[in-house]
Amino acid sequence: MIDQLEAIVGRYIPIDVNGVAQRIYFEEAGSGPPVLLFHTAGADNRQWRHVLNDPDLTSRYRFIAPDMPWHGKSLPPEGWQCQEYLLTTEAYVATVLAIASALQLDKPVYAGCSMGGRIALQLAHQHVEKFKGFIAIEASDFQQAWYDIDWFHRPDAHGGEMGAALVSANIAPQAPDAERWNTQWMFMQSGPGVFRGDLSFYTRDDSLVGQLHQIDTSVAPVHIMVGEYDLTCTPEDARRTAEAIPGATLDVMREIGHFPMSEHPTQFRPHFVEALAKMR
Amino acid sequence: MLETSDIRQRLAEMQRRLASLPHLSRLGSLFTETVLIEIDGAEFYLHFEKGHLVDIQPGPSRKTPWRFAFRSDGDAIEAFWQTLPSPGFHDIFGLVKIGRGRVDGDIVCLVKNLRFFKEFMALGRLESMA
Repeated sequence: MIDQLEAIVGRYIPIDVNGVAQRIYFEEAGSGPPVLLFHTAGADNRQWRHVLNDPDLTSRYRFIAPDMPWHGKSLPPEGWQCQEYLLTTEAYVATVLAIASALQLDKPVYAGCSMGGRIALQLAHQHVEKFKGFIAIEASDFQQAWYDIDWFHRPDAHGGEMGAALVSANIAPQAPDAERWNTQWMFMQSGPGVFRGDLSFYTRDDSLVGQLHQIDTSVAPVHIMVGEYDLTCTPEDARRTAEAIPGATLDVMREIGHFPMSEHPTQFRPHFVEALAKMR
Repeated sequence: MLETSDIRQRLAEMQRRLASLPHLSRLGSLFTETVLIEIDGAEFYLHFEKGHLVDIQPGPSRKTPWRFAFRSDGDAIEAFWQTLPSPGFHDIFGLVKIGRGRVDGDIVCLVKNLRFFKEFMALGRLESMA
Protein backbone atom coordinates (compact mmCIF):
# COMPACT_ATOMS: atom_id res chain seq x y z
CA MET A 1 0.00 0.00 0.00
CA ILE A 2 1.34 3.41 -0.94
CA ASP A 3 0.72 5.75 1.97
CA GLN A 4 0.42 8.87 -0.17
CA LEU A 5 -2.46 7.50 -2.28
CA GLU A 6 -5.68 9.40 -1.78
CA ALA A 7 -8.76 7.35 -0.91
CA ILE A 8 -10.71 8.63 -3.90
CA VAL A 9 -11.47 6.06 -6.62
CA GLY A 10 -12.81 7.04 -10.05
CA ARG A 11 -14.88 4.79 -12.32
CA TYR A 12 -17.28 4.96 -15.27
CA ILE A 13 -20.81 3.65 -15.62
CA PRO A 14 -23.10 3.73 -18.68
CA ILE A 15 -26.63 5.01 -18.14
CA ASP A 16 -29.65 5.83 -20.24
CA VAL A 17 -31.15 9.31 -19.86
CA ASN A 18 -34.46 9.61 -21.68
CA GLY A 19 -33.25 7.33 -24.47
CA VAL A 20 -29.81 8.93 -24.75
CA ALA A 21 -26.77 6.82 -23.87
CA GLN A 22 -24.46 8.61 -21.44
CA ARG A 23 -21.17 7.41 -19.98
CA ILE A 24 -20.88 8.84 -16.50
CA TYR A 25 -17.65 9.33 -14.64
CA PHE A 26 -17.91 9.33 -10.87
CA GLU A 27 -15.55 9.39 -7.94
CA GLU A 28 -16.27 7.78 -4.64
CA ALA A 29 -14.78 7.24 -1.23
CA GLY A 30 -15.89 5.85 2.11
CA SER A 31 -18.35 3.33 3.41
CA GLY A 32 -21.72 3.69 5.05
CA PRO A 33 -24.99 5.26 3.98
CA PRO A 34 -24.65 6.56 0.41
CA VAL A 35 -24.48 10.31 -0.22
CA LEU A 36 -24.63 11.64 -3.79
CA LEU A 37 -22.66 14.85 -4.33
CA PHE A 38 -23.47 17.00 -7.37
CA HIS A 39 -21.37 19.87 -8.67
CA THR A 40 -22.32 23.38 -9.79
CA ALA A 41 -22.81 24.67 -13.31
CA GLY A 42 -19.69 24.92 -15.44
CA ALA A 43 -17.57 22.70 -13.21
CA ASP A 44 -17.18 19.06 -12.22
CA ASN A 45 -16.91 16.63 -9.33
CA ARG A 46 -13.50 17.94 -8.25
CA GLN A 47 -15.44 20.56 -6.31
CA TRP A 48 -16.07 17.79 -3.76
CA ARG A 49 -12.42 16.68 -3.45
CA HIS A 50 -12.08 17.72 0.17
CA VAL A 51 -15.17 15.87 1.36
CA LEU A 52 -14.05 12.73 -0.48
CA ASN A 53 -10.64 13.04 1.15
CA ASP A 54 -11.97 13.57 4.68
CA PRO A 55 -11.12 10.38 6.63
CA ASP A 56 -13.54 11.13 9.43
CA LEU A 57 -16.47 11.66 7.07
CA THR A 58 -15.57 8.73 4.83
CA SER A 59 -15.46 6.46 7.86
CA ARG A 60 -19.17 7.15 8.26
CA TYR A 61 -20.55 7.70 4.75
CA ARG A 62 -20.08 6.45 1.22
CA PHE A 63 -19.72 9.57 -0.91
CA ILE A 64 -20.33 9.37 -4.66
CA ALA A 65 -19.60 12.44 -6.80
CA PRO A 66 -20.58 12.12 -10.50
CA ASP A 67 -19.64 14.37 -13.37
CA MET A 68 -22.81 15.36 -15.18
CA PRO A 69 -22.85 14.57 -18.91
CA TRP A 70 -20.73 17.13 -20.83
CA HIS A 71 -18.81 17.91 -17.61
CA GLY A 72 -15.44 16.80 -16.29
CA LYS A 73 -14.64 13.30 -17.55
CA SER A 74 -18.21 12.45 -18.62
CA LEU A 75 -18.15 12.87 -22.39
CA PRO A 76 -21.01 14.52 -24.22
CA PRO A 77 -23.42 12.13 -25.96
CA GLU A 78 -22.82 10.88 -29.48
CA GLY A 79 -23.64 13.60 -31.99
CA TRP A 80 -22.82 16.45 -29.63
CA GLN A 81 -20.95 18.29 -32.33
CA CYS A 82 -24.19 19.28 -34.03
CA GLN A 83 -26.16 19.99 -30.86
CA GLU A 84 -26.64 23.11 -28.79
CA TYR A 85 -26.16 22.01 -25.19
CA LEU A 86 -29.08 23.28 -23.11
CA LEU A 87 -29.68 21.50 -19.82
CA THR A 88 -33.29 20.95 -18.82
CA THR A 89 -34.89 20.11 -15.49
CA GLU A 90 -36.30 16.94 -17.02
CA ALA A 91 -32.90 15.70 -18.22
CA TYR A 92 -31.21 16.68 -14.98
CA VAL A 93 -33.71 14.83 -12.79
CA ALA A 94 -33.57 11.79 -15.08
CA THR A 95 -29.76 11.80 -14.91
CA VAL A 96 -29.68 11.79 -11.11
CA LEU A 97 -32.26 8.99 -10.93
CA ALA A 98 -30.45 6.94 -13.58
CA ILE A 99 -27.13 7.25 -11.75
CA ALA A 100 -28.69 6.26 -8.42
CA SER A 101 -30.40 3.29 -10.07
CA ALA A 102 -27.34 2.14 -12.02
CA LEU A 103 -25.25 2.21 -8.85
CA GLN A 104 -28.04 0.36 -7.00
CA LEU A 105 -28.15 2.97 -4.26
CA ASP A 106 -30.84 2.45 -1.65
CA LYS A 107 -32.38 5.80 -0.74
CA PRO A 108 -29.23 7.91 -0.89
CA VAL A 109 -28.88 11.34 0.60
CA TYR A 110 -28.71 13.86 -2.21
CA ALA A 111 -26.42 16.90 -1.82
CA GLY A 112 -25.91 19.40 -4.62
CA CYS A 113 -24.62 22.91 -5.03
CA SER A 114 -26.03 25.76 -7.12
CA MET A 115 -27.78 24.10 -10.06
CA GLY A 116 -27.22 20.88 -8.12
CA GLY A 117 -29.04 22.53 -5.24
CA ARG A 118 -31.91 23.57 -7.47
CA ILE A 119 -32.28 19.95 -8.56
CA ALA A 120 -32.25 18.89 -4.90
CA LEU A 121 -35.46 20.88 -4.56
CA GLN A 122 -36.90 19.42 -7.78
CA LEU A 123 -36.11 15.90 -6.54
CA ALA A 124 -37.69 16.69 -3.18
CA HIS A 125 -40.75 17.89 -5.04
CA GLN A 126 -41.03 15.06 -7.58
CA HIS A 127 -39.30 12.02 -6.05
CA VAL A 128 -39.11 12.54 -2.32
CA GLU A 129 -39.68 8.86 -1.57
CA LYS A 130 -36.52 7.81 -3.42
CA PHE A 131 -34.14 9.70 -1.15
CA LYS A 132 -33.22 9.78 2.51
CA GLY A 133 -32.86 13.54 2.52
CA PHE A 134 -31.76 16.58 0.59
CA ILE A 135 -28.93 19.02 1.21
CA ALA A 136 -29.54 21.95 -1.13
CA ILE A 137 -26.48 24.20 -1.18
CA GLU A 138 -26.65 27.71 -2.65
CA ALA A 139 -30.15 26.77 -3.71
CA SER A 140 -33.36 28.62 -4.31
CA ASP A 141 -36.52 28.23 -6.33
CA PHE A 142 -35.42 30.66 -9.04
CA GLN A 143 -33.07 33.51 -9.87
CA GLN A 144 -32.95 35.63 -12.94
CA ALA A 145 -29.52 36.07 -14.47
CA TRP A 146 -27.60 39.20 -13.52
CA TYR A 147 -25.36 38.55 -16.53
CA ASP A 148 -25.81 37.61 -20.17
CA ILE A 149 -25.34 33.86 -20.50
CA ASP A 150 -24.29 34.26 -24.14
CA TRP A 151 -21.06 35.88 -22.94
CA PHE A 152 -19.78 32.40 -22.18
CA HIS A 153 -19.92 30.85 -25.62
CA ARG A 154 -18.60 32.91 -28.49
CA PRO A 155 -15.99 32.33 -31.17
CA ASP A 156 -13.83 35.34 -30.37
CA ALA A 157 -13.11 34.71 -26.70
CA HIS A 158 -12.49 31.93 -24.20
CA GLY A 159 -15.79 31.24 -22.50
CA GLY A 160 -14.17 29.31 -19.67
CA GLU A 161 -11.83 32.11 -18.74
CA MET A 162 -14.63 34.66 -18.88
CA GLY A 163 -16.86 32.37 -16.83
CA ALA A 164 -14.17 31.91 -14.22
CA ALA A 165 -13.62 35.66 -13.99
CA LEU A 166 -17.33 36.19 -13.56
CA VAL A 167 -17.89 33.51 -10.92
CA SER A 168 -14.94 34.83 -8.92
CA ALA A 169 -17.50 37.44 -7.85
CA ASN A 170 -19.17 34.60 -5.95
CA ILE A 171 -16.11 33.57 -3.96
CA ALA A 172 -15.71 35.06 -0.49
CA PRO A 173 -12.57 37.15 0.12
CA GLN A 174 -11.71 34.84 3.04
CA ALA A 175 -11.24 31.84 0.72
CA PRO A 176 -7.67 30.50 0.78
CA ASP A 177 -5.91 31.60 -2.38
CA ALA A 178 -5.07 28.08 -3.54
CA GLU A 179 -8.68 26.94 -3.28
CA ARG A 180 -9.99 30.13 -4.89
CA TRP A 181 -7.89 29.41 -7.96
CA ASN A 182 -8.57 25.64 -7.94
CA THR A 183 -12.25 26.52 -7.99
CA GLN A 184 -11.82 28.86 -10.94
CA TRP A 185 -9.64 26.39 -12.85
CA MET A 186 -12.59 24.02 -13.24
CA PHE A 187 -14.61 26.76 -14.92
CA MET A 188 -11.69 27.55 -17.19
CA GLN A 189 -11.60 23.88 -18.21
CA SER A 190 -15.28 23.39 -18.92
CA GLY A 191 -16.21 22.51 -22.49
CA PRO A 192 -17.34 25.13 -24.99
CA GLY A 193 -20.91 26.19 -24.31
CA VAL A 194 -21.34 23.98 -21.26
CA PHE A 195 -21.49 26.77 -18.68
CA ARG A 196 -23.92 28.65 -20.94
CA GLY A 197 -26.08 25.52 -21.31
CA ASP A 198 -26.14 24.98 -17.57
CA LEU A 199 -27.02 28.60 -16.93
CA SER A 200 -29.81 28.38 -19.46
CA PHE A 201 -31.50 25.86 -17.16
CA TYR A 202 -30.53 27.65 -13.97
CA THR A 203 -31.66 31.12 -14.96
CA ARG A 204 -34.76 30.31 -17.02
CA ASP A 205 -36.49 27.34 -15.39
CA ASP A 206 -38.93 28.80 -12.89
CA SER A 207 -41.05 25.68 -12.57
CA LEU A 208 -40.55 25.50 -8.79
CA VAL A 209 -42.05 28.92 -8.17
CA GLY A 210 -45.30 28.47 -6.30
CA GLN A 211 -44.69 24.73 -5.85
CA LEU A 212 -42.38 24.66 -2.82
CA HIS A 213 -45.18 24.28 -0.29
CA GLN A 214 -45.93 20.85 -1.83
CA ILE A 215 -42.56 19.44 -0.72
CA ASP A 216 -43.16 16.93 2.08
CA THR A 217 -40.25 17.13 4.50
CA SER A 218 -41.92 14.57 6.76
CA VAL A 219 -40.86 11.94 4.18
CA ALA A 220 -37.32 13.26 3.72
CA PRO A 221 -35.73 16.34 5.27
CA VAL A 222 -34.66 19.37 3.22
CA HIS A 223 -31.75 21.44 4.51
CA ILE A 224 -30.72 24.58 2.62
CA MET A 225 -27.26 26.08 3.01
CA VAL A 226 -26.08 29.42 1.65
CA GLY A 227 -22.90 31.47 1.84
CA GLU A 228 -23.16 35.10 2.88
CA TYR A 229 -20.97 36.19 -0.07
CA ASP A 230 -23.06 34.43 -2.70
CA LEU A 231 -24.18 37.04 -5.23
CA THR A 232 -26.03 34.51 -7.40
CA CYS A 233 -28.13 32.75 -4.79
CA THR A 234 -28.15 35.30 -2.02
CA PRO A 235 -29.03 34.53 1.59
CA GLU A 236 -32.31 36.33 0.91
CA ASP A 237 -33.04 33.98 -2.01
CA ALA A 238 -32.28 30.93 0.13
CA ARG A 239 -34.32 32.25 3.06
CA ARG A 240 -37.32 32.93 0.82
CA THR A 241 -37.05 29.38 -0.48
CA ALA A 242 -36.62 27.75 2.94
CA GLU A 243 -39.56 29.65 4.38
CA ALA A 244 -41.79 28.40 1.56
CA ILE A 245 -41.02 24.72 2.30
CA PRO A 246 -42.80 23.52 5.46
CA GLY A 247 -40.22 21.96 7.76
CA ALA A 248 -37.15 22.97 5.75
CA THR A 249 -34.11 24.23 7.64
CA LEU A 250 -31.66 26.96 6.64
CA ASP A 251 -28.00 27.60 7.43
CA VAL A 252 -26.38 30.90 6.39
CA MET A 253 -22.62 30.35 6.34
CA ARG A 254 -20.24 33.18 7.19
CA GLU A 255 -17.13 33.93 5.13
CA ILE A 256 -18.31 31.66 2.31
CA GLY A 257 -19.57 32.27 -1.21
CA HIS A 258 -21.23 30.16 -3.90
CA PHE A 259 -18.78 27.22 -3.89
CA PRO A 260 -18.44 26.31 -0.20
CA MET A 261 -16.98 22.82 -0.47
CA SER A 262 -14.39 23.94 -3.00
CA GLU A 263 -13.51 27.55 -2.15
CA HIS A 264 -13.15 27.18 1.63
CA PRO A 265 -13.35 23.52 2.71
CA THR A 266 -12.40 24.00 6.36
CA GLN A 267 -14.99 26.73 6.83
CA PHE A 268 -17.60 24.58 5.07
CA ARG A 269 -16.88 21.33 6.90
CA PRO A 270 -18.71 21.91 10.22
CA HIS A 271 -21.75 23.14 8.33
CA PHE A 272 -21.75 20.02 6.15
CA VAL A 273 -21.32 17.74 9.16
CA GLU A 274 -24.36 19.38 10.71
CA ALA A 275 -26.30 18.99 7.47
CA LEU A 276 -25.48 15.27 7.21
CA ALA A 277 -26.62 14.78 10.79
CA LYS A 278 -30.03 16.14 9.82
CA MET A 279 -30.47 13.44 7.16
CA ARG A 280 -31.97 10.79 9.43
CA MET B 1 -15.54 58.91 2.53
CA LEU B 2 -12.89 59.10 -0.16
CA GLU B 3 -12.15 62.55 -1.58
CA THR B 4 -11.32 63.04 -5.24
CA SER B 5 -7.68 63.60 -4.33
CA ASP B 6 -7.64 60.28 -2.43
CA ILE B 7 -9.00 58.47 -5.48
CA ARG B 8 -6.47 60.11 -7.77
CA GLN B 9 -3.68 59.05 -5.43
CA ARG B 10 -5.07 55.54 -5.13
CA LEU B 11 -5.29 55.15 -8.91
CA ALA B 12 -1.68 56.30 -9.21
CA GLU B 13 -0.66 53.66 -6.66
CA MET B 14 -2.60 51.06 -8.63
CA GLN B 15 -0.75 52.13 -11.76
CA ARG B 16 2.56 51.53 -10.00
CA ARG B 17 1.40 48.17 -8.67
CA LEU B 18 0.24 47.05 -12.11
CA ALA B 19 3.66 47.93 -13.54
CA SER B 20 5.26 45.59 -10.98
CA LEU B 21 3.05 42.58 -11.79
CA PRO B 22 4.19 40.89 -14.99
CA HIS B 23 1.45 38.26 -14.84
CA LEU B 24 -1.21 40.94 -14.88
CA SER B 25 0.36 42.88 -17.72
CA ARG B 26 0.52 39.61 -19.65
CA LEU B 27 -3.19 38.93 -19.00
CA GLY B 28 -3.93 42.38 -20.40
CA SER B 29 -1.57 42.15 -23.34
CA LEU B 30 -4.46 42.49 -25.81
CA PHE B 31 -6.11 45.26 -23.81
CA THR B 32 -5.53 48.66 -25.37
CA GLU B 33 -8.52 50.73 -24.36
CA THR B 34 -9.59 53.81 -22.44
CA VAL B 35 -11.73 53.14 -19.38
CA LEU B 36 -13.71 55.78 -17.54
CA ILE B 37 -13.75 55.45 -13.76
CA GLU B 38 -16.29 57.79 -12.23
CA ILE B 39 -16.63 58.12 -8.48
CA ASP B 40 -19.18 60.57 -7.09
CA GLY B 41 -19.13 62.28 -10.46
CA ALA B 42 -15.36 62.75 -10.52
CA GLU B 43 -14.04 61.36 -13.81
CA PHE B 44 -10.76 59.58 -14.43
CA TYR B 45 -9.87 58.36 -17.91
CA LEU B 46 -7.52 55.41 -17.69
CA HIS B 47 -5.56 54.84 -20.87
CA PHE B 48 -4.35 51.25 -21.09
CA GLU B 49 -1.89 50.05 -23.72
CA LYS B 50 -1.21 46.32 -24.01
CA GLY B 51 -1.95 45.75 -20.35
CA HIS B 52 -0.04 48.77 -19.07
CA LEU B 53 -1.74 51.82 -17.62
CA VAL B 54 0.09 54.57 -19.49
CA ASP B 55 -1.93 57.60 -18.38
CA ILE B 56 -4.55 58.64 -15.87
CA GLN B 57 -6.33 61.66 -17.26
CA PRO B 58 -8.53 63.53 -14.80
CA GLY B 59 -11.90 64.79 -16.04
CA PRO B 60 -14.27 66.28 -16.66
CA SER B 61 -14.03 65.76 -20.36
CA ARG B 62 -16.62 65.75 -23.12
CA LYS B 63 -14.23 64.72 -25.85
CA THR B 64 -12.42 61.71 -24.47
CA PRO B 65 -13.85 58.52 -25.97
CA TRP B 66 -13.92 55.46 -23.73
CA ARG B 67 -14.69 51.79 -24.30
CA PHE B 68 -16.51 51.13 -21.04
CA ALA B 69 -17.12 52.99 -17.81
CA PHE B 70 -17.33 51.87 -14.21
CA ARG B 71 -19.26 54.23 -11.98
CA SER B 72 -19.71 54.08 -8.23
CA ASP B 73 -19.75 56.29 -5.14
CA GLY B 74 -17.00 57.11 -2.69
CA ASP B 75 -18.36 55.11 0.23
CA ALA B 76 -18.90 52.04 -1.95
CA ILE B 77 -15.46 52.14 -3.56
CA GLU B 78 -13.87 52.64 -0.14
CA ALA B 79 -15.74 49.55 1.08
CA PHE B 80 -14.63 47.69 -2.05
CA TRP B 81 -11.01 48.60 -1.34
CA GLN B 82 -11.06 47.18 2.19
CA THR B 83 -8.82 44.17 2.79
CA LEU B 84 -11.86 42.01 3.63
CA PRO B 85 -14.83 43.72 2.02
CA SER B 86 -18.36 43.03 3.22
CA PRO B 87 -20.69 40.89 1.09
CA GLY B 88 -21.67 42.71 -2.07
CA PHE B 89 -18.74 45.11 -1.78
CA HIS B 90 -16.18 42.41 -2.56
CA ASP B 91 -16.39 42.55 -6.35
CA ILE B 92 -17.16 45.15 -9.00
CA PHE B 93 -20.12 43.08 -10.19
CA GLY B 94 -21.16 42.79 -6.56
CA LEU B 95 -21.36 46.58 -6.44
CA VAL B 96 -23.45 46.51 -9.59
CA LYS B 97 -25.75 43.84 -8.18
CA ILE B 98 -26.39 45.73 -4.94
CA GLY B 99 -27.01 48.95 -6.82
CA ARG B 100 -23.80 50.73 -5.82
CA GLY B 101 -22.02 50.42 -9.14
CA ARG B 102 -22.79 50.68 -12.82
CA VAL B 103 -21.08 49.52 -16.00
CA ASP B 104 -21.75 51.47 -19.18
CA GLY B 105 -20.46 51.13 -22.71
CA ASP B 106 -18.99 48.00 -24.26
CA ILE B 107 -19.59 45.47 -21.49
CA VAL B 108 -18.48 42.59 -23.72
CA CYS B 109 -15.06 44.23 -23.93
CA LEU B 110 -15.01 44.29 -20.15
CA VAL B 111 -16.08 40.65 -19.90
CA LYS B 112 -13.44 39.55 -22.42
CA ASN B 113 -10.83 41.20 -20.19
CA LEU B 114 -12.61 40.60 -16.93
CA ARG B 115 -9.86 38.91 -14.95
CA PHE B 116 -7.38 41.61 -15.93
CA PHE B 117 -9.71 44.48 -15.07
CA LYS B 118 -10.99 42.97 -11.83
CA GLU B 119 -7.46 42.29 -10.61
CA PHE B 120 -6.45 45.80 -11.59
CA MET B 121 -9.35 47.29 -9.61
CA ALA B 122 -8.48 45.11 -6.61
CA LEU B 123 -4.98 46.63 -6.58
CA GLY B 124 -6.57 49.52 -4.71
CA ARG B 125 -6.93 47.31 -1.65
CA LEU B 126 -4.65 48.25 1.17
CA GLU B 127 -2.84 44.92 1.33
CA SER B 128 -1.92 45.40 -2.31
CA MET B 129 -0.23 48.66 -1.36
CA ALA B 130 2.13 47.01 1.10
